[in-house]
Amino acid sequence: MTGRRAARASLAGGLLFALLATGCGVRPSDVITGRSATSGPAVGVGLYLLSHGQLALVIRETKGITASPEQTLGMLAAGPDDSERSQGLVSEVPVGLVPATPVTATADGPGVTVTMTGAVLPLSAAAADQIICTVATAVTLTGQVDSFAPVTIAGPDGVRAPRSCPIK
Amino acid sequence: MTPWRWASGRASGLRVRLLLAFALLGVTTTAVVASGSYFQARTVILQQAQDAAVASLTDQLTKVYPVRRLPPSQEELDTLAHRLSDREGYAVVLYRDMRAQGAQLPEPLTPELRRAVGDGVIAWQRVSRDGEPVLLIGTQLQIDRPDGTPVPSGLEVYSVRSLASEQQSIDRLATLAWLTGGLSLVLAVLLALLAARGVLRPVRELGRAARQLGEGDLTTRLAVRGADELADVARTFNDTAGTLERQVGELRRMEADARRFVADVSHELRTPLAAMTAVTDVLDEEADRLPGDAGRAARLVSQETQTLTQLVNDLIEVSRFDSGTARLSLDDVDVAAAVTATLRVRGWADRVRAELPSGVFARLDPRRLDVIVANLVGNAFRHGAEPVSVRLCAEPDWITIEVRDQGPGLDPEVLPHVFDRFYKADTARTRSEGSGLGLAIAWENARLHQHAGQTGSLVAGNGPTGGAVFTLRLPRVVTDAADAGGVR
Repeated sequence: MTGRRAARASLAGGLLFALLATGCGVRPSDVITGRSATSGPAVGVGLYLLSHGQLALVIRETKGITASPEQTLGMLAAGPDDSERSQGLVSEVPVGLVPATPVTATADGPGVTVTMTGAVLPLSAAAADQIICTVATAVTLTGQVDSFAPVTIAGPDGVRAPRSCPIK
Repeated sequence: MTPWRWASGRASGLRVRLLLAFALLGVTTTAVVASGSYFQARTVILQQAQDAAVASLTDQLTKVYPVRRLPPSQEELDTLAHRLSDREGYAVVLYRDMRAQGAQLPEPLTPELRRAVGDGVIAWQRVSRDGEPVLLIGTQLQIDRPDGTPVPSGLEVYSVRSLASEQQSIDRLATLAWLTGGLSLVLAVLLALLAARGVLRPVRELGRAARQLGEGDLTTRLAVRGADELADVARTFNDTAGTLERQVGELRRMEADARRFVADVSHELRTPLAAMTAVTDVLDEEADRLPGDAGRAARLVSQETQTLTQLVNDLIEVSRFDSGTARLSLDDVDVAAAVTATLRVRGWADRVRAELPSGVFARLDPRRLDVIVANLVGNAFRHGAEPVSVRLCAEPDWITIEVRDQGPGLDPEVLPHVFDRFYKADTARTRSEGSGLGLAIAWENARLHQHAGQTGSLVAGNGPTGGAVFTLRLPRVVTDAADAGGVR
């Protein structure tokens, strides 16, 4: 009786001691998450190139001049510059594929329509997304629509289905 | 009792149990309180350190904006990493495949942190690097689109800070907690000792008093203190002791009364008996001349009167022993001569085989020696069978007189009672020739001889060849005169 009681007491004591001994100091933790990541403004023209097949934001200095959506699309059609290329950024938008007319609001729906000089239907999905995100960002700057407005790409060969920039 | 039993007996003693209980209570309480406050304080310290580090990082990162060029060059990444590194830690800046690290150290980042940061939140994690606690904080640098929605720039900034100073603070807390625990244990043990003393002292006193009472000191009482259970026990003990003392006193008084009564009666009987003896002496002389029944009656009366006189004398002797008034009148005695005289006076000299070496002198009471020897020899004749032998042995400190008969010996059941008063070995024989007090008186007489812590004794037993053996041992006090050859 006494033995069992003593054993139980020593077990409890041992557990307590073990808890105290192992709980000491600064223990490694799991990942703790806080509020959303730091963000801030950028100055310059925003383009979307591809890095390993993913859309990547590129900002180019404009020396104080505000570029129009058409100019921005022109820069996109020119492809990555040397430093961008050296960092593995590529563009799938064919060189010379520039807007034929200014970007206008879509006639029968929300969003904007951009009409290109060249064929738009053979464009890859990535290339289309590059154009859509770049146009959306550039148009937002003018206050016409927001960043996720659907963009319709039209060309002499037809019209692509309206689509929003996939970068949330 | 085996050592183990002894140890377990000690271990379950009141003092040890109280000590253990107090110690356990103290340690448990302190452990719970100390560990509770320790864990809480640790959480607070770590949380404050983490929050401050996160706030500091985000504060520093606001200076990166506005972003003018993306993708950044390696130099720009290095500059940013360098700017974010300080005494307390260093930064790691990543851009897609590029990397800048503020210190030449192995990769600190964990995949799970990278994943959390990739989800677009500020995340931090404590990890252990070579035994040192390190805090990792990571965040993406996002770019606000014109309408305010952020888009990832691909830049990720991680801050790696040592938590060594926090570890020190927490270690100090732990040391303090252990110290508090130790102190409380000491305190608990001291308190337990104090409490045990408070409880154990009355118990010890009770034990001592009970022992004294058992040893016969019936006046033992306890001081009753307070009104707790122990005081109740003490009061009960006192009541019991009081009752016991009263009853034993009553018994002693009654016994003394009875003895005094016997002594008084014996004394009162002496005078009429003396007269009767005188008359029966005359009757005895005339008995032969009296005819028939009258003569027999006269002899019977004479004989019974003698027996009665003997009984009364024995009773008076016994009552002297009981009242403690029996005194020795010591004399230097030639023991062999004294024994021979005893036998001769009783007319037993021819019937007893005596081995009495001469020249044995001792200082003793000759009358009492005579009474003892006469009783033993007379007893041997009455209850044993002849031949009866008397042997005297002398040792430096003792003289031994052994009286032996060749009868059937003493029954083992009788042996312990042979010196009892009025004890009849043969229950069928209700009346014996003796008074029934002879051996008792002989025993008392033997015990009366005392010298230098040695007490005379009379022991009954059976010889190896059968027959009862009574052994008288008296302390021998040799005087100078006796040593000089018995010349007085």
